[in-house]
Amino acid sequence: MKPPLPFKQSRRHFLASGVAAIFVAVASTAGATIIKGVAPFKPFDYNPPETLGTGGWYFFTPQEARLMEALVECLIPADELSVSGLDAGCAEFIDRQLAGSYGTFERLYMQGPFVAGTPEQGDQSPLVPQRRYRLGLAALERHCQQTLGKSFVELPGEQKDQVITSVQNGEIVFKDIDSKMFFAILLQNTMEGFFADPIYGGNRDMVSWKMLGFPGARYDYRDYIDRHNEKLDLPPLSISGRPEWHKKG
Amino acid sequence: MNNLLLKSVGILAFTATAAVAQAPRDDSFEKVARGRYLATLADCSACHTAAGGAPFAGGVVLQTPFGDLVGANITPDPDTGIGRYTEEEFQRVMSEGIGKGGYHLYGAMPFTAYTKVSKSDNSAIYAYLRSVEPVRNKVETNQLPFPFNIRASLIGWNFLNFSKGEFEKNPDRSAEWNRGAYIVEGLGHCGTCHTPKTSLGGDENDRFLEGATLQNWHAPNITADRHRGIGSWSTDEIVQYLKTGTNRFDTASGPMAEEVENSSQHWNDADLNAVAVYLKESRTSATEVPDALDADDTRIVAGKNIYADRCSACHTPDGNGIPRLFPKLSSAPLVNSDDPTSLIRVVLAGSRAGGTQASPTGPAMPSFAWNLSDDDVANVLTYIRNRWGNSAVPVAASEVKELREQLQE
Repeated sequence: MKPPLPFKQSRRHFLASGVAAIFVAVASTAGATIIKGVAPFKPFDYNPPETLGTGGWYFFTPQEARLMEALVECLIPADELSVSGLDAGCAEFIDRQLAGSYGTFERLYMQGPFVAGTPEQGDQSPLVPQRRYRLGLAALERHCQQTLGKSFVELPGEQKDQVITSVQNGEIVFKDIDSKMFFAILLQNTMEGFFADPIYGGNRDMVSWKMLGFPGARYDYRDYIDRHNEKLDLPPLSISGRPEWHKKG
Repeated sequence: MNNLLLKSVGILAFTATAAVAQAPRDDSFEKVARGRYLATLADCSACHTAAGGAPFAGGVVLQTPFGDLVGANITPDPDTGIGRYTEEEFQRVMSEGIGKGGYHLYGAMPFTAYTKVSKSDNSAIYAYLRSVEPVRNKVETNQLPFPFNIRASLIGWNFLNFSKGEFEKNPDRSAEWNRGAYIVEGLGHCGTCHTPKTSLGGDENDRFLEGATLQNWHAPNITADRHRGIGSWSTDEIVQYLKTGTNRFDTASGPMAEEVENSSQHWNDADLNAVAVYLKESRTSATEVPDALDADDTRIVAGKNIYADRCSACHTPDGNGIPRLFPKLSSAPLVNSDDPTSLIRVVLAGSRAGGTQASPTGPAMPSFAWNLSDDDVANVLTYIRNRWGNSAVPVAASEVKELREQLQE
């Protein structure tokens, strides 16, 4: 007869209990309730997107902000298609995102162990976005001062492009943070700022949507279903509305 | 031994009960049941049962233009309820608005309508109210400020606003119509919300059921007027609305949702039909219909865009709505009302339909206060009030601003 092994659990048992634990955790934090009959209703109840006000900086220091503005202008320069990333508000967008839940990866599991994984395993860094920008921007500025004797923002346009290209492909190595990782998050967030809804601070006046002909956050196309092979030219719609809502004249 | 004693006591008690039940009594099951139905028909609980409170124990606050009045405790509790009322005294409350000891009731207790209720119906309601659980709950009904809190002033009020008298049948009309009139004008007290009020809070009887605003809700015109009223609804559609809270035109909301939930969904089909027949065949309001605004009016242009982006997914691009789910906006009495209070309110605060046995879902309208400005709300409402056959006075941003402040207080 085998002696009982009280602490030995099968993998399946372990997974099942983990799932149960997650359910309990979610239920308690979300204040889950059982609804019977008609769903509850409260006047003026709504669940708006989390946004921060316009003007000023919420996360970046004034120096960081200047650097960010120069960087987003390099990544999306003004051309015949659109205004620059700077004029579209990408730096403000990233600032607001870093000040919000994204800045600390609030919704991600961020406990150790932190082991460099394979590329297929994705991001394994212990650095949250706030740290990536704080360390990355400081390292970039230090690199420019030490090797070029100037701040990044003072460099001529072509040289700016050379520097960030070298950051992108890892030729420039930062001490505190993987330079490729810093560039990756910067490029990713700049694109998000350029194409996200204007209520988050970027895509000012829906410039990128106008450029693409993207009609925005619309939900009802029944008026257009039968209009085949026709260019509709629907003006884009933001969560906060569109200019055509307001009276003219 | 003890067991035997208990048994014999039990038998004695049983025979005693049986003896009482055999005697003809005024509170027979049939009478109490009839009283219960009539109390439901009259929707007594609307004012006398507080949300989550014991039935008929009072405490519902009614905000009138003069101040707050609170529904009384009408359970048979002797001290805080109506346990000491005789049937004659109860009769007097209903037909004259005079309480035990001779004090005058405020018109918020719709005795101006209940005066039409027959003596036998009042007797049944009395029997039913005697049968409910007595609850000790002291209610200060009169919370009006000076000088309205002086009940003696009601003698003058009654002189101006009240004509006493039981319902008299109109011999030229069908029995069904007369039953409908008895309910609408009497127990149903529809006019309490739907009839415009004088500056004294009395009914403007020559404008019976033409719509009125109370507690920041506008109860629309329910005459047979085809523009502002329900003239285009068939009797079946009126019945469906009252029974299920919704029909192909509209969905009950706000206080009417409560009425449908607590009262009219429980009415029997004969009474529902009678009310529909009466509403269809009584009066129509003869007020002029304004011209719809031009399509190039700046308010209409702005409103059209807002409607397309925020409203059309549910209410459909042509304003037809989805029957029994999303109210139809075209040719809708409420949309064509002179007073846009309810429209502004549901756009700002959102609203939920009542859930009934027949239609339990209770679809809700979301709040748009957070992403529509006062101008936006005014423009989109002006648009829906002047399209698809609708025509009504434009809504001003100042009206939206005022109601927004009042509702968020």
